[in-house]
Amino acid sequence: MDSRRDHLGGRTPRDELAEATAHGALYLRRLRQRQLALSLMALLAFGALVGVLPLAIDLLPALRRVDVLGIPLALWLLVVPLPPIFLILGALYARRADALDESFRELVRRR
Amino acid sequence: MIAILAVAAVTAGTVGLGAMGTRLARTTSDLLVASRAMTAWWNAAAISGEYLSAASFLGIAGLEMQNGTTALWQSLGFTAGYLALLLFVAAPLRRFGSYTISDFAEARLRSPRLRALASATVLLIGGFYLVPQLKGAGLALNVVTGAPYFVGVLAVGLVVSFNVGLGGMRGITYVQAFQFWLKVFAIALPACLILIHLGGLPARAALFGERYPSVGSRPATVTLHAPQRVTFPLATGYTVIPSGTRHRPLHDHAHAGERITLPAGELVLPPHAAVPVAAGTTALRGSEWARPVGGSGERSPVFVYSLLIATFLGTMGLPHILVRFYTNPDGPAARHTTVRVLGLLGLFYIFPGIYGALGRVLVPQLYVTGATDTVVLRLPQAAWPGTVGNILGAITAAGAFAAFLSTSSGLLVSIAGTISHDVWPRLSRERTAGVGIRRRRFRLAAVVGMLAPIVVAFFAQSVDIAVLVGWAFALAASTFCPLFLLGIWWTRLTAAGAASGMVAGALLATSGILAGLALGEPGGVAGALFAQPAIVSVPIAFLVMIVVSLRAVERPNPDAEMLALHAPEGLDLPETGVRDPFVLGPRAGV
Repeated sequence: MDSRRDHLGGRTPRDELAEATAHGALYLRRLRQRQLALSLMALLAFGALVGVLPLAIDLLPALRRVDVLGIPLALWLLVVPLPPIFLILGALYARRADALDESFRELVRRR
Repeated sequence: MIAILAVAAVTAGTVGLGAMGTRLARTTSDLLVASRAMTAWWNAAAISGEYLSAASFLGIAGLEMQNGTTALWQSLGFTAGYLALLLFVAAPLRRFGSYTISDFAEARLRSPRLRALASATVLLIGGFYLVPQLKGAGLALNVVTGAPYFVGVLAVGLVVSFNVGLGGMRGITYVQAFQFWLKVFAIALPACLILIHLGGLPARAALFGERYPSVGSRPATVTLHAPQRVTFPLATGYTVIPSGTRHRPLHDHAHAGERITLPAGELVLPPHAAVPVAAGTTALRGSEWARPVGGSGERSPVFVYSLLIATFLGTMGLPHILVRFYTNPDGPAARHTTVRVLGLLGLFYIFPGIYGALGRVLVPQLYVTGATDTVVLRLPQAAWPGTVGNILGAITAAGAFAAFLSTSSGLLVSIAGTISHDVWPRLSRERTAGVGIRRRRFRLAAVVGMLAPIVVAFFAQSVDIAVLVGWAFALAASTFCPLFLLGIWWTRLTAAGAASGMVAGALLATSGILAGLALGEPGGVAGALFAQPAIVSVPIAFLVMIVVSLRAVERPNPDAEMLALHAPEGLDLPETGVRDPFVLGPRAGV
């Protein structure tokens, strides 16, 4: 299929999507890959934080010996920082994902 | 007495609102129309309300008391599960429009046979997850009224069956949202008041030092309803008054580390004695107890990682979670609701840990019978004897009942829906049935679906709630998680690949769990893997799914499905047909 001719023929990306053409699928694949890359990046950040913590607590006895307000530092690390980090990570991700959707919408609606 | 009233009020309120809700929302489209007016906060509270189960309300504190602060990884994983859901599943699945996991499996891979497999897996996971809810109910009713364990299991099982059969309370977002705040209140208020009353954490030596949990300055009496095998961590004298009148009190002495089978009756421990622990559990010194990871078996790093994987990836595969997302109007709304869920769950999970720690100091007699799962219910009276303690105890009991009523209703709706919609037509070989017949089938299925979990719960009295829940998560993570992740993001997944991967994951996870049970919880790395097989079973399930899919002769062409999953809203694309939700008679009350 000659893509240039199609484009000159006044077809928009929206038409391509709606008619499930090869081009439409290509547009969509690009969006899907960007969304996936974003999710994997967030997963990496999560994995780095949560993945390191058990090993760090296991391998660094100092974390267990140092007390903060009478409670071992290792316990503070387990209980306090991660839930807020999940929330921040989730909020940042949702904003970026919405922005990716929006830029795709703009691409598709553009004449 | 106050506690009984509180529990009765919660139960009656739940069933009553459920019956009322059935009249308000009769069909799936009613639910969808109503959902448009719902804000992300309401939806988030409703999702969290349905999610917080007996495991969260009773199990984490119980396991923490028993096994140490290792248990707190579980609450971290329970929260993080929604992050995985947010990153990979929430928006695409909302757009796709499947109400159940079975619908998704069938529509995405165009395979009715995969639907059958998914339905079987839903029944397995749902059943596994119902057992700990019923166990919690049995324990709680026993603490509140003194009724035997099996009475509580049976009573709550029947109430939930009845409730779901009537139409269930699930459809009503407001009810679930209310249940969430009730649970937060019921766990937060007593914890805060007790901490203030005690002036902080008492008895640091037993919590973080070298002491074993021990009796206070007055002798402690423990009632044993059956002979109990225990281990004494330190040498101490003790007295047993056997039940029955013929026996006279026995005074005896135990060496450090000695194992003794105590007869049924009253065990009296002298002041400051280290409390013996039930056979099968280990007495921990404060420093061991407070160590979040380290050691062997269920305290080892392997176990912690495996548990984190199971909870992180398993949440999305629980049968009752998915349908809640349809109260979001579109994909972005599903994302923003899930972000709020992360915040709400984080708030709730601050509190269970406080009960486990205080319980170690204030109700150490629970170690004797191993009934640490009741610590949330027993702590208020022990920490604050008198009226205040009774009121606070009533509040935690009401919260616990809200927890297992909401979660087990949600689970049973999924199970009964699967039985009446998938299993039954397959058996009777008739495909078309009127709305009336389908509704009657659903009601019967709501009773049938509860039977097996009730029977298993009778035998599972000695297994910790948190452990039972860990298995359900391992199963979900090894079957539905790869189905969702690959089904949503990978175009080359085939029905055969998905089926092989799910079967492999399910077999590995269940055989690990059963082997652990058969071998009586062996130690070391093997013991950790048997207790929580996810770290092995999840990667293998993914691998099998990918390899079998890649070997397919014909490359699948899921363009239409991918469009339905990933195309943003507002493009005015023609309906693909995949988006049309299943409209089901019986699940209309959903």
